Amino acid sequence: MKRRDFVKGLAVATATAGTALGQQYPASQAQNPPPAADAAGQGAKATPPPPAATESRRNARMEAMSRFRSPDIPVSQPDAVAMTAPRYFTAARYATLVQLCEIMMPAGDDYPSTAKTGTAEFLDFYIGSSPVEQQTMYNNGLDRLNADSMKQFKVSFAKADEKQADAVIRPHLKGWMNNHPPREGQARFINLAQRDIRMATMNSPAWSIAAEAVGDRTPGVGLYWHPIDPGIQRWVTPGHGHAAPATNHQHS
Amino acid sequence: MAQKKVDVLIIGSGHTGGMAAKILTEKGIACTMLDAGPMLNFEKNRELKPAHELPFRGFDAPGRLPHVFQASEFNANIWLDEKVAPYSYPPGQTYNWVRVRSVGGRSPFWGRQSFRHSDYEFKSKDHDGFGENWPISLKDLAPYYSRVEEIFRVTGHTDHLPQYPDGNFIEDNSPWSGAMQRFVDAGKKLGVPVTKPRSALGKDGLAASINLVIPDAVATGKLTTIPNAIVRKITVDKKTGLADGAIFIDRHSHREMEMKARVVVVAAGTLETTRLLMLSEICNSSGALGHYLTDQIYGAGIICSVPEARDGKAAHGLMGGGALIPRFRNLDTKTNGFLRGYAVNVSCSNGPFDARALPFYGKELDQKLQSYNGSGFSTDIMGETLGHYENHVSLNKQVVDAWGMPTLNISTKYTTNETNMTKDYIDTMAAMAEAAGFDILVKNYEFNPPGFSIHEQGTARMSDDPKKGVVNKWNQSHDMKNLFITDASVFVSSGWQNPTITMCALAMRASEYLAEEMRKGNV
Repeated sequence: MKRRDFVKGLAVATATAGTALGQQYPASQAQNPPPAADAAGQGAKATPPPPAATESRRNARMEAMSRFRSPDIPVSQPDAVAMTAPRYFTAARYATLVQLCEIMMPAGDDYPSTAKTGTAEFLDFYIGSSPVEQQTMYNNGLDRLNADSMKQFKVSFAKADEKQADAVIRPHLKGWMNNHPPREGQARFINLAQRDIRMATMNSPAWSIAAEAVGDRTPGVGLYWHPIDPGIQRWVTPGHGHAAPATNHQHS
Repeated sequence: MAQKKVDVLIIGSGHTGGMAAKILTEKGIACTMLDAGPMLNFEKNRELKPAHELPFRGFDAPGRLPHVFQASEFNANIWLDEKVAPYSYPPGQTYNWVRVRSVGGRSPFWGRQSFRHSDYEFKSKDHDGFGENWPISLKDLAPYYSRVEEIFRVTGHTDHLPQYPDGNFIEDNSPWSGAMQRFVDAGKKLGVPVTKPRSALGKDGLAASINLVIPDAVATGKLTTIPNAIVRKITVDKKTGLADGAIFIDRHSHREMEMKARVVVVAAGTLETTRLLMLSEICNSSGALGHYLTDQIYGAGIICSVPEARDGKAAHGLMGGGALIPRFRNLDTKTNGFLRGYAVNVSCSNGPFDARALPFYGKELDQKLQSYNGSGFSTDIMGETLGHYENHVSLNKQVVDAWGMPTLNISTKYTTNETNMTKDYIDTMAAMAEAAGFDILVKNYEFNPPGFSIHEQGTARMSDDPKKGVVNKWNQSHDMKNLFITDASVFVSSGWQNPTITMCALAMRASEYLAEEMRKGNV
């Protein structure tokens, strides 16, 4: 859906929902003040129970809300309208990563380049949020790519041509399986980075749009499990203590 | 509400807790089943989604589940978060403890491979002198295996191999694909049997306790199921020395509750069961509690390509299908370098080729993937590991979980037995693949850390001798005759087999024994 249509749809849906709620409930009730947030305060005031008519309206409103079903409001992903600014990698490393992404996964006839799928930006965010071991592997690996390119061709990896880039990548490519990428530092980086680049690219919104445009199946569809049951926050202290007796407590 | 004493308290609702509930309630015994997790709601909890709609494009949240290699962004929410329920291990001894905490336990998510143990496992000490025999044999368990296989609707082929006992199968007489037949023939020349896989079909797409056994218990009207109940202690009657109930904590409110029971069945899953017994300070007169932890090695394997299937040239029927190679080492002869044996999962794929196996990138990789599409052939090991006394768990009182309970320290490591076994496996599979005319692209001799298989077993093993084991041959505690353990913590050795069917057969047998003992007034 085009953004213009989406905004229009959102405006209509919002107005409809507001109107519907306005029709259900009298204006005076909508203007009722909220209940006191402080439970202790409520107790101190010893508020009498509401009159039967008020309670009846409250129950009617609650029942109506329980019947309400989610409105059909089309939503878009942020990638459709915005980009992630890179901020984890240094400028030199980021430039190396951008080049590595383009080389590992160049644009096809029907599929977008990694620049359009935001692969490097996504990996900058993802690796920047990852455990230090993964960050170190990427930082060292990108530095090594650059150093190898400088050493062999006196040109940074970011500016290397295809042949030069191939000379510093290919020696480290290995076939691997399951959870066992190569152990050696640069081979490990190259092979894991390739996996990450492919995944971040093929699972991007832009790639999905391209797949649909040429009639391919939507890539990466799986059975997603939502959080099963939130609620592990701790509101009480384990093994709650005993109430302390009042100092002036007297037994009869 | 007044506290009432229940007939049988079952702790855990996975395959064996569910089986205990089914058998006992069908005998007219009222059961209350507690589970530490919530009830699953399949309509609400899951949906088909493309990865690009997920927050991390299919990568899981960074660092979220470092020990669950099985986790992806799609399934991350089903695994127990180790920040909530931590565990520890000594430096350099990584253990992957993979847990699910919801009603049904891990049963909705298992691999469904369904094997019987043979007497090579039950009487393993007689064969090679290591460890202990089980106090039961295949003959004791065979009738229960048959009933369990019927419930789980196990499909398989009757092979007449003593190390791969046949069962009550939905017979699989499908022909081999051409490539698989070549691998079968290559195996024959090397004395390696290649057989059909055996797997639980289940019902309506699931083979879990929550759809195969618990509904039968519910139908009796005698089962009370309570989710979100984290048992912190099994209580003991000081006068009799018998278990008399449990104290549990509500997962959300942390409110502590006490309940009384005539009998306690512990089915919390191997290491959770042992942790609970340790927290309760019971069932360890033998000193064996927590020891002899074992499982199976996974992760090592080979990836091949069938040349005739490349470039879209596969003849009809050339590719497809799976196979199972049951243990073939150390049966009638001895193999140098390791005890016991391994089985192999074999897969012949007519689908996309695994990009990781091809050392190319860019357009060249895309061309290779197109060429190799539909030509994949791979193997994975399931190897028995040895349950040494030193492989053990203990309570770590310094680190507590979100409910204030001490956690487990898991101390286990593999030895040259596992590395030598893996070398033999890779070399043998490579020889068979070459003889079958396949191109071998990857040989991986590395296996995954202990725990990865999610087949942890032992730590409350069974034995006729109360000085050597925690339970007797009926899964009944030697120390408390009214406490039974039905999960894989009672296993004496792991074998190569997926343990589920054996766990269920043991749980069924133990539950029938318990019901009879209750009827006689002995428990």
